[in-house]
Amino acid sequence: MGRLLLIVTALLFLGLFLLLPLLAVFAQALAKGFGAYYIAISQPMAWAAVKLTLLVAGIAVPLNLIFGVAAAWAVAKFDFRGKSALITLIDLPFAVSPVIAGMIFILVFGTHGWFGGFLRAHHIRVVFAVPGIVLATIFVTFPFIARELIPVMQAQGKDDEETALSLGATGWQTFWRVTLPNIRWGLLYGVLLCNARAMGEFGAVSVVSGHIRGVTNTMPLHVEILYNEYNYTAAFAVASLLALLALLTLAGKSILEWRQPELRHAARRPRDRTRRVNT
Amino acid sequence: MSIALRGVTKQFGEYAAVENIDLDVATGALMALLGPSGSGKTTLLRIIGGLEKPDEGQVLFDGQDATLWPIGDRKVGFVFQQYALFRHMTVFENVAFGLKVKRRRERPTAADIRKKVQDLLALVQLSWAHDRYPAQLSGGQRQRVALARAMAIDPKVLLLDEPFGALDSQVRHELRRWLRRLHDELHFTSIIVTHDQQEAIEVADSVVVLNRGRIEQVGIPGDIYDMPKSAFVHRFLGQVNELPVQLRDGRAYVGPIDISAAADVQTGSTKNIALIRPHEIEIGPAASGWPATVVAVRVIGPIVRLELCAAGQPLHEPLEAEISSERFEAERFTVGQKVGLRFRRWQVYPAAA
Repeated sequence: MGRLLLIVTALLFLGLFLLLPLLAVFAQALAKGFGAYYIAISQPMAWAAVKLTLLVAGIAVPLNLIFGVAAAWAVAKFDFRGKSALITLIDLPFAVSPVIAGMIFILVFGTHGWFGGFLRAHHIRVVFAVPGIVLATIFVTFPFIARELIPVMQAQGKDDEETALSLGATGWQTFWRVTLPNIRWGLLYGVLLCNARAMGEFGAVSVVSGHIRGVTNTMPLHVEILYNEYNYTAAFAVASLLALLALLTLAGKSILEWRQPELRHAARRPRDRTRRVNT
Repeated sequence: MSIALRGVTKQFGEYAAVENIDLDVATGALMALLGPSGSGKTTLLRIIGGLEKPDEGQVLFDGQDATLWPIGDRKVGFVFQQYALFRHMTVFENVAFGLKVKRRRERPTAADIRKKVQDLLALVQLSWAHDRYPAQLSGGQRQRVALARAMAIDPKVLLLDEPFGALDSQVRHELRRWLRRLHDELHFTSIIVTHDQQEAIEVADSVVVLNRGRIEQVGIPGDIYDMPKSAFVHRFLGQVNELPVQLRDGRAYVGPIDISAAADVQTGSTKNIALIRPHEIEIGPAASGWPATVVAVRVIGPIVRLELCAAGQPLHEPLEAEISSERFEAERFTVGQKVGLRFRRWQVYPAAA
């Protein structure tokens, strides 16, 4: 009885807070029929926003993949001075409001910012241009992959790597053949979270973008502009595209998992660690 | 390959893990590093294998200074307590790993790798497990895969860090015997770290007892057990009864028993203790020796352990004595029976040690 109650509560909650809003987005988008939906998403401005969003995610996610793996590797497998400071730094983007993150970039790279004069002299635009959006997105999404990987790598310890080295593998071979396969599912989740946030980031990007239509408008910004113009159908149409991208990444993850069942089995089953008796 | 350590010291922060260690391991020896947690035995093994750099001192391989050699160049096979098998690889791929990562020029052909891996799997009696994943094997089987993998690179030295610590005692016993046979057949130098004195005595040619980062004693297993040089080694290698030594009229006593006859009695102002192993206590008729009462009898297969409360000793610290079950069959000691104790052997140490 108690169990049934729990399940019903969980399902109700999920339905109310996750499924219903998702359905509402698609329902609103299609409220005036497929014709209106098609017109809304085939606007050049809408397409420019989609392309920019994909471009930004396409740059930010791979870069954070590299940063995240490197940071997690350093934190989990090595002991060095300032390690806890590094962990705190990694968490900084979580702690700081995205709006403030955006302001930081304006302060540093804006016209009156620290590097403003230098950038203007060299005709480099950062703020109110694509580079600024990419930078802000990288900043905001930095912790996702590192945070996902650090506990995984710490739990796995160094035995596998040390074994590989003792068998004559180079550091590089050890990374590609031992470490990376060991962390791949954690990495996949990290990338998915990072990607979702990179595509959906609003606050920080809003501050640095300048809202130049067709040039520096990402999808979330475009949705907001349309919404503010009382263009609900178009706003929800673009929002539905954004939701669709998210669903696609989830589907991609499921397909990857489904295609390698026995590896997933091996990766998920925790290694049966009897407590180490010796230190 | 012979291994020598000269003045090896390693600190972790304030804590000295090993201090000024000198040690020689002869080619083909099977040496056990024995000690409690924190005695530095694992650190010493890792220094030999190149996983840690000593702060001071040298590691010599066949007389050559190998202190700074990278781990991959040392030709050491490592076996860890937790197997450290690569989970995403099959048993075959695990064993083949060391061969596949070799530089192209040195790498055997695929056919040679296959042949070699098959031979090794046959050696560890796991040919059937070829395509299994580590998660599908038992602990003992995994450790044998780990051994085969370590041997694939033809190591000169095999380093085993508590290799059987995570296994149950039956499997542990079998694997020890199997390791001993393997060592005798293949003639590499092996060093095994363990906190289990039984394991060290059973498997090794020589035993190094470590305590707080220092070597307490080095010797063959029999000597270490029978002639411990310190109270620490004496205690660590098996059960002991500890009794205070009293000095009266220039003679030394444990209870009413005069132990002055032994040459190792250290008289003088220092307080001494006598260590006596359970099987060194002789149990006789009540009138002879130190009067005592049997307070517990426990039959453990071929031996019988008796707890005895000796006159003048605190009640909560009964002495432990062991006799053979044949002897027990003949004498039939019962709880409450009055007996007399004598000591066949004992060793005296300063009480502080």
